[in-house]
Amino acid sequence: MTAADLHRPAPEAAPPPAAGPVPGWLRLAWLYLVSRRAPAAVAVLAGLGAVLWTSLHWHWDVAGGAAARQAIPLSVEAGAAMVIAVTCYGPFGEPERATGRWLPYLRLGAAVLLTAVAFGALAAGAAAGGLPDGILALLRNVTGMIGTGLLAAAILGGALGWAAPLVYLVLAEGALANGATTPWAWPARPPHDLGGALCAGVVFAAGLLATTVRGARESVRD
Amino acid sequence: MTATSVPVRPAPQASRAVPLGLARLLRVELRRNAMPFVLPLIALVFWFDSYRIAATMPPLWAERLFYIFGQGHSLIDFAPFVAGVAAWVGSRDGRRGLTDLLTTSVRPRFAVQFATWAATTIWAVVGYLVMMAATLWALSRPITYGAPPYWPLAVGAVGVAAFSAAGFAAGAFFPTRFTAPVAAFGALLACGTSSQIGFHEGSGWSLILPTNSNNNFGQDAGVFYQFLPDLPVARVMFLAGIAVALIALLGVPVTAGGRRMRRTATVVCAAGAALAITAVALATTATVSSYGAVIPALHDAANDRPIPYTPVCASAGIRVCVQPAYRPWLAEVSAALRPVAAQLSGLPGGPARTAQVASLFAVRGQPDLGPASGPVQIATISGQPAVLYLPLGAMNLPGAFGLRRADFLDAIKLQTVHAFVVAGSGYSNPAQVAVEAALMKNAGIPLATQVTTAWPPSPWRLPFAATGSGRGPRSQADYPAQLASAATRFAALPAATRHAWLASHLAALRAGQLTLAQLP
Repeated sequence: MTAADLHRPAPEAAPPPAAGPVPGWLRLAWLYLVSRRAPAAVAVLAGLGAVLWTSLHWHWDVAGGAAARQAIPLSVEAGAAMVIAVTCYGPFGEPERATGRWLPYLRLGAAVLLTAVAFGALAAGAAAGGLPDGILALLRNVTGMIGTGLLAAAILGGALGWAAPLVYLVLAEGALANGATTPWAWPARPPHDLGGALCAGVVFAAGLLATTVRGARESVRD
Repeated sequence: MTATSVPVRPAPQASRAVPLGLARLLRVELRRNAMPFVLPLIALVFWFDSYRIAATMPPLWAERLFYIFGQGHSLIDFAPFVAGVAAWVGSRDGRRGLTDLLTTSVRPRFAVQFATWAATTIWAVVGYLVMMAATLWALSRPITYGAPPYWPLAVGAVGVAAFSAAGFAAGAFFPTRFTAPVAAFGALLACGTSSQIGFHEGSGWSLILPTNSNNNFGQDAGVFYQFLPDLPVARVMFLAGIAVALIALLGVPVTAGGRRMRRTATVVCAAGAALAITAVALATTATVSSYGAVIPALHDAANDRPIPYTPVCASAGIRVCVQPAYRPWLAEVSAALRPVAAQLSGLPGGPARTAQVASLFAVRGQPDLGPASGPVQIATISGQPAVLYLPLGAMNLPGAFGLRRADFLDAIKLQTVHAFVVAGSGYSNPAQVAVEAALMKNAGIPLATQVTTAWPPSPWRLPFAATGSGRGPRSQADYPAQLASAATRFAALPAATRHAWLASHLAALRAGQLTLAQLP
């Protein structure tokens, strides 16, 4: 066999995929999502939506004040952010970075898509009624927390990206319990508060930017 | 020099090879473990959620450690992160598709997994102990009396190991990238649920939960009597049993190693589960004594001995003595008692001195305040000459859980007046309440605020209170007009007239035989 033979497929090789209706970019996006276990993430997010629905429908109460009232919804929102943070982790490392020029767009698209799915799943869960502060606050809280997860994935690594939303959950609960008014503790702000929305938006944008440009950090300690 | 001239390295002796190999494996795992990356985040959470609040509490160990150890927040702050990281580390081989490769290697797969878990747990537990040591040092600076309880510290350390084992087992059995966040989320929910149960359950199996402070942490433990170690010992058994059972469970599958090792792992797993179940059974046998929950099978009678002390005293018209740990509040106690003692001086049953008594977990021999009042402890006057026995209680000090100095002073005044007028019993007829209101008014609590500030935290329910929680007439903003009028009238009497009237009518007043109209 010579190098010239490489232009032709070997007789025993599988035939190339027939040119179908699926465009190449869509197949690439799908493969990227599969490599990040996005389908499983969607299933987990749906499960979190179900948890939220159940907690609201059956009136799971936590004893205490404002912090306790928000404890279950905020925990579920943090859970969604934790799931999305770990999808940033890629198993291919250097080869993927060296060959994938579409990688930043794929990262951005995956993060935005999963954020939308997370919001949709939780909004569906909130349909049971009684969500403290309503859907607008849900959107603000969940995007902000996802931003912390994306930032942590870029800084700590995709493996530990889930830790940041958990930290933020504890800090936000503390802020709620203490009646803090800083907009960086956006769950403690009213749903229509511009400052809280801006802070959550800034964190989300920073997280998106970091994961889009840099991707999740890879560590030998994985 | 050629390859053949290189001296042959002697083969390691078989007996030393295994422990050396395991030690090397552990060292490698310690060096490349992910836990150190997360410890700063845990420190941030612990500082914000636990230390920041504990540092504002009054300087008594029971008070300052109530949130951290009593309600288990040190474990709550660690558990989700430890479980998550352990799950990530435990799922490593499976996520990378190395399970088959490692199963066929020379060392049993369980030994490799154990080394990985041990490294993760060592980092977590050492991190926990270092943070607790720093916390205890920082919190101890203003504390002048006693020592912290160390058993709850052990509970936290073993709890961290148990959550590490739970996370690691989850990661090993379900090796996906989502196992880590799900394990962390699960640990968070477990801690939250445990915390909720701990808020209102004070007996039975729930005492085994490390977040349950009821009947085992607080009151005057560490001041008048020891922190009883019975429940913490049972909790250590429970958490250690869970940790052992879950880690041994990894050695049970066929892929874990040889037959003998799997049998041993099965036995150890069963022993761990039995230990945990035994601990729960022990907790259900706990009874509440004056000094906290006692588990007969674990109880050491030596812990029932009160801590000896020499009281520190001051003068408030009468002699006031408190336990030395309460020296920082002696001036406030004296300030609260002085205006009350001045009104009661020389009257039958009027206290000639005040002695602080321990605040207890189970109070016996006190008047029945009704089912709504719960286990409470009140001031009493007894003896000849009469002594006011006043429980202060670490949980009631100014600065504790938002309690203000004025609330603390008002509570002492009300307790003293109530002990004098109705001997601390629950029900007061309107004339008794009017006299108490007048005495408190002259002691510095305005009549208009008594119903809203002084009575609500007390265990007594006023007779005119329509509803409420059993802790005073929260639903009523003021005394009824007739009662308020009588109280105002009585308070306005010259001190000598009031004193003389009390001296002659005190027996009838205490017996509930007087009406509002009969007050001067």
